[in-house]
Amino acid sequence: MELKPIIAVKDLHFSYHKHTVLEGVDLSLHRGEVVSLLGSNGCGKSTLIRLMLGLMHADHGDIWLNNKTINNYSHKEIAEHIAYIPQYHNVPFNYTVMEMVMMGRVGKLGFFAAPSHKDREIAHESLHRIGIEDLSSRPFGQLSGGQKQMVLLARALTQEVDTFIMDEPVSGLDYGNQIRLLGLISELSTQGYTFLKTTHYPDHALMVSSRVVVMNKGRIIADGKPDDVITTSMIHDVYGINADLVSHNSHTWCIPSFAKGIQ
Amino acid sequence: MTHTKTFRTLSAAIAVLILLTVVSLLWGQYPIDFDTFMGYVNFKLFGGAGNDTYTLLDNIILQIRLPRILLAILVGASLAVSGAAFQAMFVNPLVSPGILGVLAGASFGAALGMLISEQWYIVQAMAFIFGFVAVGVAVLIGSMVTNSRSTIMLVLGGVISGSLFTALLSIVKYVADPYSTLPAIVYWLMGSLTMADLSGVLYVSIPMILSILGMIALSKYFDLLSLGDEEAKALGVNVTLIRLGAIILATLASSLSVVMAGMIGWVGLIIPHIIRMAIGPSHRMLIPLSAVVGAIFLLLADSVSRLTFSVEIPLGIITSLIGIPIFIIVLKNARAAWN
Repeated sequence: MELKPIIAVKDLHFSYHKHTVLEGVDLSLHRGEVVSLLGSNGCGKSTLIRLMLGLMHADHGDIWLNNKTINNYSHKEIAEHIAYIPQYHNVPFNYTVMEMVMMGRVGKLGFFAAPSHKDREIAHESLHRIGIEDLSSRPFGQLSGGQKQMVLLARALTQEVDTFIMDEPVSGLDYGNQIRLLGLISELSTQGYTFLKTTHYPDHALMVSSRVVVMNKGRIIADGKPDDVITTSMIHDVYGINADLVSHNSHTWCIPSFAKGIQ
Repeated sequence: MTHTKTFRTLSAAIAVLILLTVVSLLWGQYPIDFDTFMGYVNFKLFGGAGNDTYTLLDNIILQIRLPRILLAILVGASLAVSGAAFQAMFVNPLVSPGILGVLAGASFGAALGMLISEQWYIVQAMAFIFGFVAVGVAVLIGSMVTNSRSTIMLVLGGVISGSLFTALLSIVKYVADPYSTLPAIVYWLMGSLTMADLSGVLYVSIPMILSILGMIALSKYFDLLSLGDEEAKALGVNVTLIRLGAIILATLASSLSVVMAGMIGWVGLIIPHIIRMAIGPSHRMLIPLSAVVGAIFLLLADSVSRLTFSVEIPLGIITSLIGIPIFIIVLKNARAAWN
């Protein structure tokens, strides 16, 4: 029997200023999966995750979260099921790491309630799990890109949800931090957390995914196991470049060839 | 900054405010010594044999100094808290309470009130009404240009609304009687607490205190609003409701400050800066501490205004003259509190 998905996207259509961004998208996310969403710039990945988070509304189609469509949830209720981890960014005010992580608790508090000792304990525990407890009193703005991304992941953990949606999590990180972050995602997935992450890197999708979904021009063109989906023809179709796929130590790697012209 | 340290800072600021309030009650053109003051307080609280001095103190303290001190506290707190709230909402540390045109609107309303009536309550009512009308115009323009509730469009709406009401204010000044009404308008626009009377201050204190308390209640959401709408929503915040609530509360507090004291600049801009520098940017402490330090700042500025020279200098001029050098001094360090 097929397990019921946590999130199910059905026949989703979305246009922006008469420009079609998504056209008949179907996607499901099951408990414990790490799904990588691949596609070129402007293919609709970010729009799709924004719709899944209830940050925008679709023109047509439904997004089911558990037993209700996303339109029937408030932002507070969505935040009780899904945590969003944006690309690391600068914030206008220089909050400490602890203050940033504690923001993951605010959605759970009553209108007049202040964060309790328990809330602070949960935030400490999240920092501990990510291994950045020592950063807790550091100003967020003074951290490296990798550290900022870890803090945003710790903030997601303080929401006490088990589904994470990440928008290009390794974007802007140096190579070492990219690999460290992917390792952390892989580790958390073994603890039962579910991830949907957009990425520009087929290699990363091959490294850390139980499933890969490929988008092109607002449609999903492939959805399946990483080794089945990431093929030389897919890379050519989506990115317009040639690449070889080689196996090493039972792992597949993508080796691209140089190409001319920027798309 | 840890919570213990922050609460200590807040307690210390409240202690300074209380001390400054007592000193301001004693200090003036007719100085009152502490023993006489305590005797008077004892007499007012527990009764006993009165004397001529106490009758004089009734006049000096209850009729003149106390309303003015209470008003300085309320206006300083309102402007500083409104400034901090707007800075969080518009994700910009350089925003002041006038961002949505409330000060320009209230100034126009008051000037129009002076033009059409000599009744002070009409002037105050007009200032209050047009403060809200100006913000309403800003919000309307912001939502007309685009369907999205973008803060940039709202700021643009505020710029347009502010300019509109500044132009309307100029028309009122142009047609006002240059020998009576115009000087009254100009003097009032410079800001002053001289019109304070105890019953008026007590009436206005209720909505002012409620709006400050409302903004303190919203303060935990301000941290999230400053991350941007999408992130705040994804963290479970009803951004539209919180922003609307904060706009209404900040407009109420700042338009009432114009109603009672005219145009007083700089408080809403520099106080949140100084607080951020001292305790960090977290709004849960920034907002209440801004209230207390804003009150201290305006109480000090008013003391300078009434005690330094033989002629009282309008408060708005004093806050600018004190505020600008403070701003220059703190700017270098305050920069560290925002990116």
